Order: sequence, then C-alpha cells, then structure tokens
Amino acid sequence: MKARFALIALLAVIVMLLGACAQPTPQVIEKVVTQVVTQEKVVEKPVEKIIEKPVEKVVQQTVVVQAPTKAPARKIVSWFQYDQGNVDPKSDERVGNQYLRDAIPVFNKAFDGKWIWENQYTPWEKLGAKLVAAVQVKAEVPDLIEMGGSYVTSFYKNGVVQDLTEWAKAQKWYAEMDASALRNCSGPDGKLYCIPTANRPSQVFVWKDRYPNGFPKTTDEWLKEGERLKKEGKYAMTFFGSTAFNGNGAARAVYQTIGSFGGGYDDGNGKIKLNTPENVAAVAWLREMVQSGYVPEIAFAGGFQEEQAFMDSSAGAIPTGLFGYRYINPLTAPSGKKYEKKTQDDMLDAIAAGDVYLAPMPAGPGKKPGCGTGIAALAIPVGAKNPEGAKEFINWTLSAEQNPAYVVGPGGGLPVLKSISALPQFQAPFYKQAVAVASASDCKVIWTSVVNTPAAETAIMNAVYKLIKTDPKADIAAELKKAEEEYNKTVK
Amino acid sequence: MNQPATAPLLGGFGPKKAKPRRRIDLLPFILILPTILVLLAIQVYPALYTIVLSVQEREQTGWEFVGLQNFEILFDSAALGESAGHTVVYLMGYASLTLMLAFFIALLLNRKSHLSGVYITLLFIPWILADIIAGVVFRLLVLPDYGLFSGFLQNPALFPPRGLSVLTADAAKPWIGNFPFPPSPAMVYLILAASWRALPFITLLLLAALQTISNEVIESSRIDGANTWQTIRHITIPLILPTMVVALFNLTLGGINGVGMVFSLTGGGPGTSTHVLSYFLYSIGWVSLDFGRAAALAVILAVINLTLIAGTLRITRVQHRSA
Repeated sequence: MKARFALIALLAVIVMLLGACAQPTPQVIEKVVTQVVTQEKVVEKPVEKIIEKPVEKVVQQTVVVQAPTKAPARKIVSWFQYDQGNVDPKSDERVGNQYLRDAIPVFNKAFDGKWIWENQYTPWEKLGAKLVAAVQVKAEVPDLIEMGGSYVTSFYKNGVVQDLTEWAKAQKWYAEMDASALRNCSGPDGKLYCIPTANRPSQVFVWKDRYPNGFPKTTDEWLKEGERLKKEGKYAMTFFGSTAFNGNGAARAVYQTIGSFGGGYDDGNGKIKLNTPENVAAVAWLREMVQSGYVPEIAFAGGFQEEQAFMDSSAGAIPTGLFGYRYINPLTAPSGKKYEKKTQDDMLDAIAAGDVYLAPMPAGPGKKPGCGTGIAALAIPVGAKNPEGAKEFINWTLSAEQNPAYVVGPGGGLPVLKSISALPQFQAPFYKQAVAVASASDCKVIWTSVVNTPAAETAIMNAVYKLIKTDPKADIAAELKKAEEEYNKTVK
Repeated sequence: MNQPATAPLLGGFGPKKAKPRRRIDLLPFILILPTILVLLAIQVYPALYTIVLSVQEREQTGWEFVGLQNFEILFDSAALGESAGHTVVYLMGYASLTLMLAFFIALLLNRKSHLSGVYITLLFIPWILADIIAGVVFRLLVLPDYGLFSGFLQNPALFPPRGLSVLTADAAKPWIGNFPFPPSPAMVYLILAASWRALPFITLLLLAALQTISNEVIESSRIDGANTWQTIRHITIPLILPTMVVALFNLTLGGINGVGMVFSLTGGGPGTSTHVLSYFLYSIGWVSLDFGRAAALAVILAVINLTLIAGTLRITRVQHRSA
C-alpha cells in the first residue's frame, strides 16, 4: 500500500515538474459565444438575428478571438562578444560593450513595434563551439552572430551558417562592398556565408624614434636595423611568436612574413602547401631575426604578452592586425612620453602625435609587402527563428547612419563600403595611414579552401616555432613538409 | 516409504499448500528512482552519445557515419603519441609529488601542535582558487622579462648561460627516443603549480586517515623497537593505504582530465612541450570544432582512465594483502 502511494506521489511530482517545464501558451482572449441552433436551420451570424423560430436546442461553443491590439514586436537575438551589461571601464571589450549600450535603444526605436534586439553576450573563444553544438543538437540558436573571418570555413564545414549569396546580391550595398572582404566571407564553394561589416587588414605599428632612418622597406634592411637596435639594447620587433591559441600566430605576423616572400598556406584544394621556396625563405628570415636576438623573449610567451614589448617601446615595431590598436595600451614612447588613458585612444593619440605610425610589412627580395585580410562580419545561423529580422539588422548595420559607429566601435578597422570610407570620421591620421598601407600591401585571404583552419594553423605554428626558436639547425623544407603531411592526411 | 499426507505425489495433484507469497518491497527502488534517472540523464546518456559521436563526422548536410575513421586518424597522427608522452610525464610528476608532499605535511599536522588549526586553514587557501585563476597567477610570476621573478630567474649568473625563462625555455634533448623526458622547464613549473593547487585536499584526506590510527598501535611498535621510518613504513602506510588509493585516484583522474591549469598557465607551450591529452581534446573539440574526432579521443581517454583505475586497484589490493 505504501509502495503504491509512493509511486502515485512520485508520478504526481513528475507530472507537475513536466507541467512546470512546458512552454507557456500564447496569450489569447477567450470569449464565450452562445449560438442557438435549430433543427432546421443553422445560422452562424449575426447572433442577434438567429432567433427566427422557436428555440429547440442550445449549443455552447468556445471561440478563440485574437486580441484586438497590434502584433507584438518580434525578437532578434544576437550573439556578440560584447556585453552591454558590463560597464567596467577597464574591460578589454569596453568599446564594444558601450557600442551595444548605445546601439540597442537606437535600433529598437528605429524598428519600434517590429523588432526588438536582444543581445546575448558570448565570449569570442566560446562562440564557435557554442554555435556548432547548438546547431548540431538543434538547440536554440541566435538569429545573428558577430564573427571574425577565420570562422567561415569551419562554420561552412559544420553547416551552421546560412548561405546569404542571393540575398546579398540583391542589396543596395553589395555593389560598393570591398571585394576582398567579400572573399573573406566566402566558403570553399564560393558562396557567401557572412556579411562583412569592417575590414581588419594586418599592418605594422612602428615607433618612429626607434627607426630614425624610416621603417625598412625590405627584409634585408630590417635585419640591418635589427643589429643597430640590438646594440642599443632594443629589439627590431615583437610579434605573436608562440604556439598559443592553437597556433593562431600563423595567421598573424608569421603570415605577414610568409606573404612578404610571396608564399602562402592554402593549396586551393582543401589541403595545405607549406614546403615551397617562398615559405622556406620566409621562415629562414624569421629564424635569423629570432636567433640574432632582434626579437624579445616575451614574443614567445603567448597570451598576447608580446604586446608588452611594444607598449614600453623596447621593441621598435609590431606586425599585427589593424584591430590590435584597440588592445595595445598604455604606451610609453622612446622619448618617455606616456599615453596612459588605457583605452584605444592611446594608440590613436600616439599616431596623431606622430610617435607611432603604420607601415607595410618589409618585403622580401622582389616581392610586395605581405598582408592578411581580416574582417568583422555578421552571419545568420542555420535554424535562426527570425532570419528576416536578422537580414534587416544587417542592412541597418551597413547603413550610412549606423555603420560608422560600428566600424569605429567594435569593428575596429576600416569600412567595407566605399561611401562610408569617404565620411569625415575616417579622415583621421589612423584611418588615412591604414588605407595607404593596405593599398601598398599585397593583402590576401589566408584560407580559401582549407576547412579545418585551427588544425592547420596549429600544425604550421608548431613547425615554425620549432624552426625559429627551439631547433634553429633543423632543415626548414623537411619540417614544413612534415607539418604539411601531418595535416593533409586528416583531410578526406 | 511414508509420505506426508499433504505431500504431492508425482508432481502432485493433491491439495496445494499455499506458499507464503514473497513480498517484494518496491519502496526502496522507487525512492532511488529519481537518482537513477538523474544519473542516466547526466552520465550514462552523455557517455553513450560520445560513443555514437565518435564514429561519425559532421558534414554540411548533417552527421555521417564513418566507422572507425576518427580513431584511425588519431592513431595515425604524431600529436596523439606526443600528447600521451607529455601526459605520462605530467601525471607521474603531479601525482607522486602531491602525494609525497601531502603525506609529509599530514604527518607534521598530525603531531597536534598549538597552531595546527591555523596551518590547516592556511593550507586550504589554494584549494578555493579556481584552476584558471591559479594558472594565471603562476603565469604572471614567471612571465619573460616582465614577471615578478623574471629578474631573478633570467639572471645568467644564477642560471647560466642565458638565464631561465620558464615559459619559453626549450626542453632538453630526450633521453629515450622521443619520450619527453627530461621535461621542459614549463612542464616542471606546470607540475609544481598543479601540485600546489591539489595539495590541501590530499593533505586533509591523509590527515583524516592518520587521525584514525590508534595511538596504542604506534606506541606498541615503538616499544617493540621500531624507529620512525619503520613505524611509517610498516604501520602507518598500510593502515592508511585505502585512503592513499582514493587520493591517488583523485590525483590521477584530475590530472589526466583537467585542462584548466594547462590552458591558463602554458597554453600547451612553449611549442608543444606541455601539450597533454586533455588539452589535445580541448583543441580538437572546442577550437577545431571537430566534435566527432574529439569524441573519439574522449573514448580513448575513458579507456585509459578505466585502465589506470583497474591497474591501481589491482596493485594496491595485492600490496594490502601482503601487508
């Protein structure tokens, strides 16, 4: 008896729990209408006129009538790496956080009654895994994500973002969109899987006083400058030289170097091609820079700590993405002058004062300066509940009224639309220099067909690190070949 | 031969004796049902799902069955063997160092000095820190050129010829083949940091076990002429052996599966010198977003875990019997 009672009680608890977990039903207004039905004739409307004959049968029916108010605005859920609720002025992402605080009310006002923008903060290092997992298990996904171009091929492989090609081609902004930015958003099949919102090409930030004769134009000149700086107890450059973040350094200064010798990684058929004369020459040059002591030890510590050597100007230059200006602060110039706002303004102020300038990567013999393109972009996940709203959001972000704030804010780079580039906000020294440097460089999309870019970058950076740092006598061609084969055998 | 009057003949058609009905009390099963359901949901289902995932690969159109291909790729890659080697070095260093230090500290604390309570409280501080935080703090201490101890460590006079940069120094040439021993300075530092973090819990575990040993047993051994070492070797250790096994399990499983400290302290570097299996798993799953292959590695790790547990149990059981 006790057992039966316990079983019934348990079932009751489970039923209650399930009931509590069920989705709430939509709010409707129920109206009970009594209809009178005769045996001979059924009259539905109007109710007042139906009593034509003696009433013989009365049936009560429940009719659900929608509330007479206008339809509520639909949500557009986004995943940005920024958190509108984080007001910490020391947060690394304060610029993006502030952008959301400013932009969300503007958007909601502009689309009052139609869309409501709800951002769910998603740290950048979790975005990819969270989205892939959510799509694969058919869980809730956002309507929109903000992403970097490096995600495109992995998202393509996992089938987690929607093909936006046809829709994009029909939009007004498409004709004036930067072609390299569009290539960055293209999957190996040539279709567009995201919409670029800002360009972030890689460049070199240079302390003017560390290079009184001007920043070197060629890699050979840079080695000579390295020797001069070494005698002064300084370094020619610092760069992301570690294997941290799964070899992401391969897409940063290492790629700039490779590009400056005319090399690359992607063979165009889904595999990597490392053992080329251009790549071997690039790695040999980088090895010489490191082994000669022209690069500080901190460059290999990971965790973006290599930036420290530029911040205190012990290193004369740092090749990195344009976006880096956001994070490299505070600054102390070689003269001792300090830029201590501890915001992106430090770099902008140093550039405006002429202490820092942007330069193309020094080029290898007979080559153009290497440069990897980079972008900020928006994409619509597979399974998004409100793709129409997401598309309208993208158009809003790319509008002449809204895009400048985005580019100056979280975009952290150059506009992708020509008409926006011409606006007064983008005539400051930082932007003018960045445009000039990008034009003088041979900016390329790093990955065009390789889908597992993190694994490829890990293989490349492990090999490069070994060659330039731990085993400077190892055969460069042989090690690059080994890394190439190690990755390629994982590709079907 | 007399049969009892009521005994059935030839299988018996006689009057049946009503057997007392055996009552199965369902209540205990019902009471543990919620726990079983929770375990099924959060342990059994994910484990089975991991096995299912390990034989699939994600394509644009959805999951595709690939048989054992994920395992083949893993076993064919140099990274798996290399990571396994680093894991063995890490595990041996971490588990043995922590267990020995914890045992030593527990013996000291068991002497009941006036400040034992204070020591225990102080000792517990590392345990309340998250792995990631502890890793970041340890990292900042030895950051090349900028760390708190970098001036001391990178002094060529103290560490010739070029000073010691813990996070970027190269490993010595392996003694045996490619097995990563002697470990890199970063691996040694990782072991020290992880041991520091795990020490409080293991110390308290062993201290609790030591306090269950009767003083009379220890005194008897002394009367019989045993010195301190002999008492520890033949009395104390055998009596707390079950607790030591639990501690060893805790350390082994925590060491092989934990990724937080590696992630925040070394990021698997310099180069690949602290690239352990758990970090390898993290990289495949959460960076490369290749959940099928990550699941295959998780299955391999589970098999290694089970083998280690079984092996440790077997060895300690034998030791326990012989003791």
